[in-house]
Amino acid sequence: MSERRIGVFICHCGGNISDYVDVAQVRDAIKDEPDVVVAQTTIFACADATQQDMVQAIQDEQLDGLVVASCSPKLHTFTFRGVAKRAGMNPYLYTQVNIREQDSWAHTDDPVGATEKAIRLVKAGIAKTRLSSPLEPIEVETTPKTMVIGGGITGLRAAIGLADIGLGVYLIEREPELGGWVAQFGAMYPHERKGRELIQELVAEVRRRPSIVVFTKAELMAKSGSFGNYLTEVRVNSGVPDLIHLEVGSIVVATGFDAYQPEVGEYGYGIDGVLTLPEFKALIDSSEGSLTYHGRKVGTVAYIYCVGSRQPEGNAYCSRYCCAATVHASLKVAEIDPKLHQYHLYRDIRTYGKYELMYTESRERGSVYMKFPEDTPPAVARGASGQLTVTTHDTLTGGEELTIPADLVVLVTGMVPRRNDTLMSVLKLPIGSDGFFNEIHPKLRPVETVVDGVLIAGTCQGPKNSSESVASGLAAVTQSGAILKKGVAELDPLVATVNTTACTWCGKCEETCPYAAVEKTSADGREVAAINATVCKGCGGCTPVCPEGAIDLRGYTDAQIQAMIENLAEVPVV
Amino acid sequence: MDYDVLVVGSGIGGMESAIKLGDMGYKVLLVEKEGSVGGRVILLSKVFPTLDCASCITTPKMAATIHHPNITAMTYSEVLGIRRASDTHFRASVRQKARYVDEAACTGCQLCETACTVAVPDQFNADLVARRAAYIPFPQAVPKKAIIERVGTSPCTDTCPAGIKAHGYVSLIRSGKYEEAFQLVLDATPLVGSLGRACYAPCESECTRGELEGSIPIRRLKRFVADRHYREMDGPGVTPAEPNGKSVAIVGSGPAGLTAAWQLARSGYRVKIFEAAAEPGGFLRYALPTYRLPQEVVEQDIRNVTALGVEIATSAPVRDLGALRLDGYDAVLLATGTPHSTSLGVPGEEIEGVLGGLDFLREVRRGETADLQGKRVVIVGGGNVAMDAARTARRLGAVETVVAYRRGREEMPAHKAEVDDAEAEGVELRFLVAPVEVVGDAAGRVQGLRCQRMELGQPDASGRRRPEPVRGSEFVIPCEAVVAAIGMVPDTDSFARMVSIGPSHRVKVDPKTLQSEVPYLFAAGDVVMGPSDIARAVGQGRRAAFMIDRWLQGRELAGFSAFDERLGVVDKTQVLARQKKYTHRDPVTVNAARLSAPRDFAEIEPPMTEDEALAGAGGCIDCGVCSECGQCVAACPPAAIDLNMRERTFDVEVGAVVVSTGYKLFAADLKPDYGFGKYPNVITAMQMDRLIAPTRPFNTVLRPGDGKVPERIAYVMCTGSRDKTVGNPLCSKICCMYSTKQNQLIMGTLPLADVTVHYIDIRAAGKRYEEFYQQAKAMGANYIKGRVAKITEKEDGNLILRYEDIENGGAIVEAEYDLVVLAVGVQPNREAERLFIDEPLGLDDYYFVAEPNEDLDPGKTSIPGVFVAGAASGTKDIVDTILHAGAAVAQVAAHLEQGNTTKKVPV
Repeated sequence: MSERRIGVFICHCGGNISDYVDVAQVRDAIKDEPDVVVAQTTIFACADATQQDMVQAIQDEQLDGLVVASCSPKLHTFTFRGVAKRAGMNPYLYTQVNIREQDSWAHTDDPVGATEKAIRLVKAGIAKTRLSSPLEPIEVETTPKTMVIGGGITGLRAAIGLADIGLGVYLIEREPELGGWVAQFGAMYPHERKGRELIQELVAEVRRRPSIVVFTKAELMAKSGSFGNYLTEVRVNSGVPDLIHLEVGSIVVATGFDAYQPEVGEYGYGIDGVLTLPEFKALIDSSEGSLTYHGRKVGTVAYIYCVGSRQPEGNAYCSRYCCAATVHASLKVAEIDPKLHQYHLYRDIRTYGKYELMYTESRERGSVYMKFPEDTPPAVARGASGQLTVTTHDTLTGGEELTIPADLVVLVTGMVPRRNDTLMSVLKLPIGSDGFFNEIHPKLRPVETVVDGVLIAGTCQGPKNSSESVASGLAAVTQSGAILKKGVAELDPLVATVNTTACTWCGKCEETCPYAAVEKTSADGREVAAINATVCKGCGGCTPVCPEGAIDLRGYTDAQIQAMIENLAEVPVV
Repeated sequence: MDYDVLVVGSGIGGMESAIKLGDMGYKVLLVEKEGSVGGRVILLSKVFPTLDCASCITTPKMAATIHHPNITAMTYSEVLGIRRASDTHFRASVRQKARYVDEAACTGCQLCETACTVAVPDQFNADLVARRAAYIPFPQAVPKKAIIERVGTSPCTDTCPAGIKAHGYVSLIRSGKYEEAFQLVLDATPLVGSLGRACYAPCESECTRGELEGSIPIRRLKRFVADRHYREMDGPGVTPAEPNGKSVAIVGSGPAGLTAAWQLARSGYRVKIFEAAAEPGGFLRYALPTYRLPQEVVEQDIRNVTALGVEIATSAPVRDLGALRLDGYDAVLLATGTPHSTSLGVPGEEIEGVLGGLDFLREVRRGETADLQGKRVVIVGGGNVAMDAARTARRLGAVETVVAYRRGREEMPAHKAEVDDAEAEGVELRFLVAPVEVVGDAAGRVQGLRCQRMELGQPDASGRRRPEPVRGSEFVIPCEAVVAAIGMVPDTDSFARMVSIGPSHRVKVDPKTLQSEVPYLFAAGDVVMGPSDIARAVGQGRRAAFMIDRWLQGRELAGFSAFDERLGVVDKTQVLARQKKYTHRDPVTVNAARLSAPRDFAEIEPPMTEDEALAGAGGCIDCGVCSECGQCVAACPPAAIDLNMRERTFDVEVGAVVVSTGYKLFAADLKPDYGFGKYPNVITAMQMDRLIAPTRPFNTVLRPGDGKVPERIAYVMCTGSRDKTVGNPLCSKICCMYSTKQNQLIMGTLPLADVTVHYIDIRAAGKRYEEFYQQAKAMGANYIKGRVAKITEKEDGNLILRYEDIENGGAIVEAEYDLVVLAVGVQPNREAERLFIDEPLGLDDYYFVAEPNEDLDPGKTSIPGVFVAGAASGTKDIVDTILHAGAAVAQVAAHLEQGNTTKKVPV
């Protein structure tokens, strides 16, 4: 084995690691390992100053291997690959060792054990690095087009945004008409513009742009290829079903939400006069002069908040938009009939930010707000006299039980994820515990998913109001632009490779590959397996199934994994 | 066009905007006013609802921002104003503030921080601890480069005519660095001991602390370090530069000549001083009475100069300056002062018993003491020499010492302290009295001074009202001696062949360069200015040395501003406004007893004790922030610190602007019912976030009042939000969630602590927020519905919260806590609107940047081409900021692509 020059940096992570792992002891334990020429501890490995130190060390010591023992590779793989690159070292000669999530945070009760474990983890990382070889990223030209799935307000605005930054757009809508939920709405908060007018405006803008091609009654049926160059299959049901193939660089999923539908009997749902929020909004939008229901003037409305949301059983999440939407609806009602009595039975009013002003105005205009205890929700009944009543406890006035006779009871229902099994199986997007699509990082990367180039926007990611949805649609536009406007994409070279002399083409690898990256080809007149490097995700599923041991994974070779295991199992000398 | 886009502010919204624009291929200029990119997120502990470490998720973004090939990031810089240059262009004026550190050379080693003697509240730790004036913003700063914070020159330093860094040595003394303090003064002048006693200390008159309980005793502090140095050290402790082979002759060994000699000798010149008197020192030795300035001190100061090899020839009057040149000196400095007293110009002046003020003082210092025992003396004049003469006369036994001055007390040129001391010592002051004739007796001795009364007329050239005689008011003050201390003049007649002599016998030189018509001849001090004081003479001596050095190096004397260039003086009202209140500190006073009949010439003022010095220097409030003590300069290994660096302002043309100036947190003291700023154990949530951050200032959560680890912690929600009484009816949105996050972290850090949240509504609206809130409850956080009305403090520092217990019957309840955290809300950053000069930037009713078409065009402002990203347009948490910045970037790109249709790809 040729001699290597490896640098090891062990991070305190402020105190996140060093509160439990004796970082200096880890350094002392590995500093005399063969091939280790630099062994340092650092308060924050990711800090720019430390990065500069690493660059300096790589250059001064002519390192050909770098080990960073800090946090999860999910956080900083690209950070330290960048360090290697800036120092002129091949980025794939760097190994991340996770001594935080997998060590210090997991063993806060055992600092001695955590330190021992860290030493083994770092030694394993050194062993892997010793066997590393330089790799070059796979560079592919990208297609400057984006598919937008969903023609609601998010998808429409995103399509326009994409066209305006110079990308081609295919807008795919399942329904015959564009517009989604918002097309059905009247005046909306906070701008008081009518939803249908907003949609008309957007549809007109879409039509004006030749670079946007709209398919209605269309569904995405299949997707292959990889980030930058997806090949999609779309079924268009205009008269005769038609399958078309579209090539795109990225996909923006903006498939929206469904409204929560209460069970019959849930807060009296099913009783005449008990409406959901969308039903009530439709009633308001169609009312002029006075608010009438079944031809009778409505004198009293009672709202029950958080129906289908914040439930210990069922949907645990808060639906975010409903408080402000209901408060806004109550203002519309007050406009129609200032004398109408409105009672709001709530848990917390979540009119965040400037929506608070609507809440204040609603109270000033006579709406009465009553907080009910979580364990004693209101009860809705229609009595013998035919009178609809809501019984509740008002925490704000000493928990007194009150019975409110109401003409209408509005169940403030929230958003639930829209079921779309075909799309889910095609896109393979992860779903969160709430049933909405999951982003890659909920704080910093809210529109990206684990599938490169597939972005999520609007309410398919989680409940939002219309302006928030538009903002996330435009953020997806930006993300598409950021990855496609360069014209080329770099893919990780950490893919499977086939030793064609050993391969006998048994087909086991093809069967096991979830990405259809294995193809049959011929070499020296024999049938052998070949890996499509742009499709392969480097999951490693094919390597253990190969009976001939002919497949290896770049960056995680069998030899590397074996060396790591040997070092992890080694009894440490502490 | 210089850049496609200017992004103002590098918080999370600004960084996201810049990176995404850069990724799309646009050239971005990012301007950040702080010394590091990163905004507020990098300072947080963790983020909700994931509990990701804020540093860990922010540092990669910070590094990506600074290393992005398409982003130019300027930190510690400000956008001064943006004007529209054309339909598609803006012109922005950008000020790069001076870091006083060469960014390329700085290695971020922090030795300057360790060396710095000034501590200021650390804004990056929410003022919980102090940082230094030399600082790196925080451990993960990008770029990790030091800054020396200088807001201007401190008034004491600014006013010093000698150019002594008064703030600097006070700051050094405060840090116990006495020798360093001595050396800092020595850097300006060798006369440390003399100035420490006899300077009139204009610094103290300007001292900002003087607006509070009284000035810092700046002069006496200088004496303290001088006394200490002379007691403990041998020689000045300064090594001069290698001899440069050039020589300078200095005529006169007063403060100007000695200072110039010192400066030149340190720079490697061979210097010889020619002194007409028998001993060197000029006025220091011959004019100032020893009760103010003991001779030994003057001699110690002079030994600093001779220690560097300066030769002083005494009894060596120079009449022919040209001869010095012929003797081989490369330059000559004339610093002969004002040795002659102005005569009274009245009859009888020649009578025995009439003396010039200076001659009188000089004789006393020479030991040729006139016997005034039992005699009456009249001193004519109202200046410092008159006071010295009067007090000297008292010490020589004069029974009556009268100072006759032709104007009033207010008009006296003598320093007030001198006048007061003279009176305390029994000197009688008579105002509006002018001499008419010295009356002699038959033996030709003084018998009295005939005077006339004066009245004040119109102001004269000096601005003082001119005294005019009152007819028929003559009277005689009987006395045996008259001292005429009405003025002093230079003795320059013999030099008139070489240089022009101006009014009052003063030598004429260029006031800036101090060079005469004869290039090698310079002049400095009172021979140029007329009678002034020691500090002014020292300043002139420094200037002369600097100019002579420059001239002898063959460099220009005009057209530069480097000598003693100072930053503008700081505004005292702004200094005092930095803190709501200042701790009262009793001024350090002199406990010298003034005898009404002083008998000897022993030094009056006692030395300061070390405790007094530390207490006196400790009161300094660091007006200019940096004290210019120079410790960082000395400590910096790569010599990266340059206090002469200046800010740089330049214009750039850009195609679009992104305003990402973020928000301000509510200043909690504006809600007085909650006692922030008054009760030390009431803190803000930002302070709590620092207490639990990985880079926390203490290693645990503790309460500031007494360092106790709190057991009962209360959160007061909606501090400064949903509150018309503070002018903010809006909800700040983030406070519920950050408090919930902190509750969870505190319960992790302090498992035994009780955490209680006093709330109106818990607004956990967002993905996984409700679940996060439920998790906090499950962990044991208590939630009590109802706004807190008032907080009061108990004697032990605990706090009583008064509120209506809504959920339990509505009684008024008082609950006791160890620590109260105010969940402060979000306020607009009004800096955003000041960016735009010709077109006003539209704001909403609450002064956030307005988005006129928010429903479809988030990120667009009222000005075409100007966009807003993040909380500048209204309160947003991190993810909403990221989304909003993403939207703004899409808008920017669309705007830039409008004129660039070729880039569009048709389907």
